[in-house]
Amino acid sequence: MKALAKTFVVVWLALVFVAAAIGAMLELGPAALDLRAPVTDHLTDTGVSHPVTAVLLNYRGYDTLLEIAVLLLALLGILAAGGAAGSAAPKAAHPMLQASARLAAPLMILVAVYLLWAGAFLPGGAFQAGAVLAAAAVLLHLVGLTRGWDSPRLRLRLGLAGGFALFLAVAAALLTQGALLGFPPAWAGELIMLIEAGLTVSLGLILAGFFLFLSRDLR
Amino acid sequence: MTDALDWLAPLVSLDRLAWLDPLAWLVVLPLGWATLAFVLGSGRGAWAALAGVSLQLWLAVELAGTILADGATPPVGASEMAAHHAVGGWGAPLGIDLAADGLSAAMLILTQMVALPLAVYARAYFKAGDPAGAWFWPLMGFLIAGLNALFVSADLFNLYVTLELVGLASVGIVAAGGGAQQLAAALRYLFVSLVGSGAYLLGVALIYGAYGTVSIATLTPLIAAEAPRLVWLAAGLMLVGLLLKTALFPFHFWLPPAHGSAPAPVSALLSALVVKASFYLILRLWIGPLEPLLPAAAAWLAALLGALAIFWGSYRAIRAVKLKRLIAYSTVAQLGYLFLIFPLLAQPAALQAGVMQVFAHGLAKAGMFAAAGVMIRATGQDTVAGLAGAVDRLPVTLFAFGLAGMTLMGLPPSSGFLAKWQIIEAALAQGYWIIAVVALAGGLLAALYVFRVLRQAFLVSGADVAERGPVPAVPRTLEWSAFVLAAASVLLGLRGVELMRLLGAGA
Repeated sequence: MKALAKTFVVVWLALVFVAAAIGAMLELGPAALDLRAPVTDHLTDTGVSHPVTAVLLNYRGYDTLLEIAVLLLALLGILAAGGAAGSAAPKAAHPMLQASARLAAPLMILVAVYLLWAGAFLPGGAFQAGAVLAAAAVLLHLVGLTRGWDSPRLRLRLGLAGGFALFLAVAAALLTQGALLGFPPAWAGELIMLIEAGLTVSLGLILAGFFLFLSRDLR
Repeated sequence: MTDALDWLAPLVSLDRLAWLDPLAWLVVLPLGWATLAFVLGSGRGAWAALAGVSLQLWLAVELAGTILADGATPPVGASEMAAHHAVGGWGAPLGIDLAADGLSAAMLILTQMVALPLAVYARAYFKAGDPAGAWFWPLMGFLIAGLNALFVSADLFNLYVTLELVGLASVGIVAAGGGAQQLAAALRYLFVSLVGSGAYLLGVALIYGAYGTVSIATLTPLIAAEAPRLVWLAAGLMLVGLLLKTALFPFHFWLPPAHGSAPAPVSALLSALVVKASFYLILRLWIGPLEPLLPAAAAWLAALLGALAIFWGSYRAIRAVKLKRLIAYSTVAQLGYLFLIFPLLAQPAALQAGVMQVFAHGLAKAGMFAAAGVMIRATGQDTVAGLAGAVDRLPVTLFAFGLAGMTLMGLPPSSGFLAKWQIIEAALAQGYWIIAVVALAGGLLAALYVFRVLRQAFLVSGADVAERGPVPAVPRTLEWSAFVLAAASVLLGLRGVELMRLLGAGA
């Protein structure tokens, strides 16, 4: 009875909040500032031709830098909390499933590379490409072709942190030239491509790590 | 010949060292050594951390020097900040701006000042192979980077990212290598942290919807000119989210288990710095963009919760069985003082009092948790009762605990005294004697829980404890780094004038 009353109060409060928020949103006029014009005006100086990529990697590249740090940090949290027990032996799936996973994995890598390359002028980029790479790694693990991960060795650590380290190094190098992440227009395209390529690999490993470092619990 | 050396020119123009902009380096440097420590591997990276934090301390002092030297320093809270860095060279609102005034510089100095002795302490605290220390250094690096980034950010969305950095790093070091109880505390902390930053993010999204920008400098005049109802809702969400993260009563429920169950250097970092970061952000928004929205009643509500925090936190600290629980509840109480200043903010002295309290509590609480870590390790138990007779074995540590206690009680000449004195003075000047009474009562209550520990260590005979066999030796580094922090909290009281000048008034 008490639990029911509690649920009732929580639901009621949530409804009031949603109603108030919707009500307030309905009376909202157009925003005071519209950044779409300046974003497209400076697009030629950003080194990429897709406005979303320009915002993510150039205009607000600093946010992205810190977000990659957040992802790396989340993985560190898993490592720190989990300790390092031995990983579970992979449970082999049906041969048919294994065969299709073997077929799918190279294609997924191809898709990841395409997404990375397309990010410069279409929606796409390192995050999407990394997510596809991670999915390939998880798929291979689920059908029992690869093992879950133990405490990471040097090569894996370099892979996990490399993309962020590269991004940070470029940011710091540009800082000595004037502004943090102040890409010179002539080099912006190449530098952003370099950063995104590094990020794709590292994000793929980090996202896969969220699954594979914990997968020893899936006995 | 001169042409050949031209490329050196930007590097050697020592007059302003343009490439050495402390604002940006204070973020890049800790990110760099955190990554290095991670690549070096489990349990490694202490030296990178020590070198990095030392450099950061120098940069923070350098930044404060530039802000002080700038003759016409705008007062804290003005939309024009003393130091400024446009990331990417775009400038707000298209890009992200970093900016610092006296308040940011003070917080930056405090952060590095607390982190350096704690890094020395942690290096001696975590033995090789200790799972709790395995990934301590990269986690600490990301934590410090997040804090520094938060203090220099002038962009509401970027501030959200820094909040996530700080929150996740904190949860990570609380959870590190712990047993079930510690993991449960960490998980609860994670939920609170996510709900807090989620509420903040929702607020930021609504503000972006209303104005089309998240740059604080651009928003401040826009909000002052016109605020639709949605912005009030956004302001409420942001402030409540941040209060949850600051653990103001009644949102303090998560703090004692998280701060009390973590290893000592972690508790020290969390209590001294992490809760102050969200407080800083509340203060920054309160005297900045949200100022036109907040009625006087909001300030009084904050002060009322602050007063309740002082009484409830002190009461629980007086009753606590475990030493670290006692210190954690003392944090709940000391955070209360920070909110007593809100009704008084019409006077610049109130802001100074608040920041002085942030410094006093930051240094003292770091020293106190560090000292508690030594005592727990030396006596092998974590209760207050277990300290009987500890003074014979740990004179330096108990002296440190006493000094930190002095600051918490607000005895002269400590910085805690200065903070409480200023709160009382500002309260009486504006005729709000009730705030002065609360501040005085809080000092007396602090004396009760501090003396409870000291009495146990000094006066109760430890004869029966000594019979339990030989006690483990504690590295001297641990004792002395705790002492340095506690002593700094007292000595800062003698150098309060510089801090006041940094915060803008009396310059």
